[in-house]
Amino acid sequence: MSTPLPHEAYAAALAGLPRMTPLRLSVLLRHLAPDEAFAVASGRDSAVAGSMVSKLLGDAELRGMWAAGSRSGSPEAVWQRCEQLGIAVSFAGQAHHPVAATTDPLPASVLFSRGDRGLLEGRRVAVVGTRNATMAGRSMARELGRGLAYSGVNVVSGLARGIDAQAHRGVFVLCDESPAAARGGAIGVVASGLDRVYPRENRDLWERVATEGLLLSESPPGAEPFAYRFPLRNRLVAGLSEIVVVVESRERGGSLITATLAAERDIPVMAVPGIASNRAALGTNGLLRDGMPPVLDVADVLLALSLDHTRCTPAVYEHRAPPRPSDLATYRACREQPQTIGDIAQHHDVNLLMAAMSLARLEQTGWIAQVDGWYEAVGSPMR
Amino acid sequence: MIAAIASATLLGATGHPVTVEVHVGNGLPGFQIVGLPDEACREARDRVRAAVLSSELVWPNRRITVNLAPSSMRKGGSGLDLAIAVGVLVASDALGTRCVEGLSFIGELGLDGSLRSVPGVAPMVACLSDHEAVVAPSSWNVAAAVASKPVHIADSLAQLVTALRDGMWPDVRVPILVADDPFQPDLADVRGQPEARAALEIAAAGGHHLLFVGPPGSGKTMLAQRMIGLLPPLDRATALEATMVHSAAGGRLPPSGIISIPPFRAPHHSSSMVSLVGGGSHNLRPGEISLAHGGVLFLDELGEFASSVLDSLRQPLEEGVIRVARATWHATMPARFLFIAATNPCPCGGGPPGACECDSTATQRYLRRLSRPLLDRFDLRVGVKRTSADDLMRPGGGEPSAVVRERVTLARERSMRRNGVLNAAIEPALLDACAPLTDAAHNMLRVELEASRLTGRGYHRVRRVARTIADLATDDVAVVDESHVALALQFRVPLGIDTRREAA
Repeated sequence: MSTPLPHEAYAAALAGLPRMTPLRLSVLLRHLAPDEAFAVASGRDSAVAGSMVSKLLGDAELRGMWAAGSRSGSPEAVWQRCEQLGIAVSFAGQAHHPVAATTDPLPASVLFSRGDRGLLEGRRVAVVGTRNATMAGRSMARELGRGLAYSGVNVVSGLARGIDAQAHRGVFVLCDESPAAARGGAIGVVASGLDRVYPRENRDLWERVATEGLLLSESPPGAEPFAYRFPLRNRLVAGLSEIVVVVESRERGGSLITATLAAERDIPVMAVPGIASNRAALGTNGLLRDGMPPVLDVADVLLALSLDHTRCTPAVYEHRAPPRPSDLATYRACREQPQTIGDIAQHHDVNLLMAAMSLARLEQTGWIAQVDGWYEAVGSPMR
Repeated sequence: MIAAIASATLLGATGHPVTVEVHVGNGLPGFQIVGLPDEACREARDRVRAAVLSSELVWPNRRITVNLAPSSMRKGGSGLDLAIAVGVLVASDALGTRCVEGLSFIGELGLDGSLRSVPGVAPMVACLSDHEAVVAPSSWNVAAAVASKPVHIADSLAQLVTALRDGMWPDVRVPILVADDPFQPDLADVRGQPEARAALEIAAAGGHHLLFVGPPGSGKTMLAQRMIGLLPPLDRATALEATMVHSAAGGRLPPSGIISIPPFRAPHHSSSMVSLVGGGSHNLRPGEISLAHGGVLFLDELGEFASSVLDSLRQPLEEGVIRVARATWHATMPARFLFIAATNPCPCGGGPPGACECDSTATQRYLRRLSRPLLDRFDLRVGVKRTSADDLMRPGGGEPSAVVRERVTLARERSMRRNGVLNAAIEPALLDACAPLTDAAHNMLRVELEASRLTGRGYHRVRRVARTIADLATDDVAVVDESHVALALQFRVPLGIDTRREAA
């Protein structure tokens, strides 16, 4: 071997061992340096008798699997892969390893990252929510992402479909509008390896977060997005944030898991209220009933962060032409809840032709948008 | 002695004249049928012999040869029984040749000599237009409806022989003429659903194919069934074609013998391709699309049909006929129908935004079963949602079918007068002449095209639908304006992978 491998290589290889859990990893790395820990885990060295590590290795089956795993996933191979992909590794004990990750009840002892690790030093707010979001929810997530980035707060999210993706897209909307105004960045925390893009439809966002923001994962390159990794990812989203904002959530779901995990860690949880009949708001409304503070706009989040909220959103120039007076009733109905053309025609007692014209005018001017025949108000509401 | 008796056989939905030649001669007693009979046809030997004997007639114990001419064409079914029996009787001098001149015989014989009807009487009688047909009593109404000469009936072979000898035909017991118009489901039963009602009306007026997209229980089937009540009665030519097809398929025909109400066919999604387009290994049967000729073909749960079955519909949807070819024969059958289909937007049924349970891969897999070319055939794609409790329980129904039908008929007349065809069939090149646009309407379509929410094909479809919407207006509208285009655009619910991704 020409140059000795860095400690990070051994840490990365440890994280990739079969049946490695955050708890086992933290036991190994709490007492041993990564190279020592790897030697013990692979069975080449023996652990100090009576230590936690030797208790861990008392399990013969686990010992066998780790020994086999350390041969197939050698530190050299893992490190080479990380360097190829431009993935940085940090482990517990290093100065730049996030404190929040080490002090967590379930610590993240090894982290893989792409992008700017400095973002973890700044203010961080998680914006999470359901994958099956309404247009209103998506729009809200985008607004929050944009507003937080403007106020210099980094947006943490899971890069999932729906709310998660929209929160980050909001950050980049601001970046595209005025790069100087975007003082906050995007921190994506994902469940799979950093080379395994999931979901595929967010490829562009994934790449953009990795290059312009920070992409974090506990899993080594090549790790598949297995279901068990997602709750672990959620604890990291919660743990790395100062506040968790849930935009839309059903009665059960990943974002409520994130909220629970945050509450367990004494991290404030806030929720965006929705209409009671909206299924995508059942979870968030439940959080509000349980006493979590509501988020009506980005100022609420900034207040909770004790930040100046008076100039929290970039001035929005309303480029949309105001709706005709005759279309106002249609617009208001769409703002309340999603409407079909039949609803509009029936409730406002107009014929379908008039309803179609009204919807077409509003859609063309950008006040409403259509998904599968349903119309919802989008963008900032008319003042 | 030799006898030649006129009869017919059925191929697809058309009859072909067959001359049954019977020779009774010397030799070892025997009975042989040649001329490409199929199994059912060859079994006529045993039925005919038993029927002759049980009618207390003399069976010639000589060598009997039956030739079915033209002998190169396959003959199927039992409809030639009667002609063979009459031929044997004539050839053995039990009947005079004179008695059967100008007559044709179509029917199956029972062992007791009784006469039974067979499927396909209408096309078979129609192809023997210069003969007076003799059929079983239950086939009389159908045969009489399509025949140009008198049609005679007989209960049994014995009765027939008596009639032929005396020249006195038994009276036709004309069935009591009940109106052909049985109970038709009425649009008044439908509560709410303004856009679906409008879509039905537009589809009926312009002949546009229609796809309902909506969750289970939203009344898609109920709506589709009400299409029949909106369509005008079939014209004479289509009625005849439809009657031929239904007769060939052995379906029940109305008492008048001719189908004048547009048929409604709703095959189950487990249907095979052959059952839908027609065919079969030894006797060619018309499929559901031919049975729907002139009427409505309704496919519920479109995504559950095998994709090969659905793609086989594309040619008939374009051409209005189906050509079924096998190694030894081929047939062309009419298949011009209004296509109505229903599907869920995703496996769980969907609903308002945020209500869907499915992840996007499941939805994509579900929608991938509907091929893009097939979805493109639908001029109207309409979202249907569950009727709200308020609408369901509100007293009084919606507009009854009769009122809507008047508007539909008027719109159809307008379009026929202007285009010579229904609006759905306007050639793209003639669109500017038949469906001119106002400037505002033009701009609206341009915006849609530039935002690539509309394809070139979709553009033509929207213009045709807009034309129909304009035709449905109270007064005659010459130029299609933006409200018509806006409504036509409403009736194109984006369904399918591409549009969904854009919407996210």
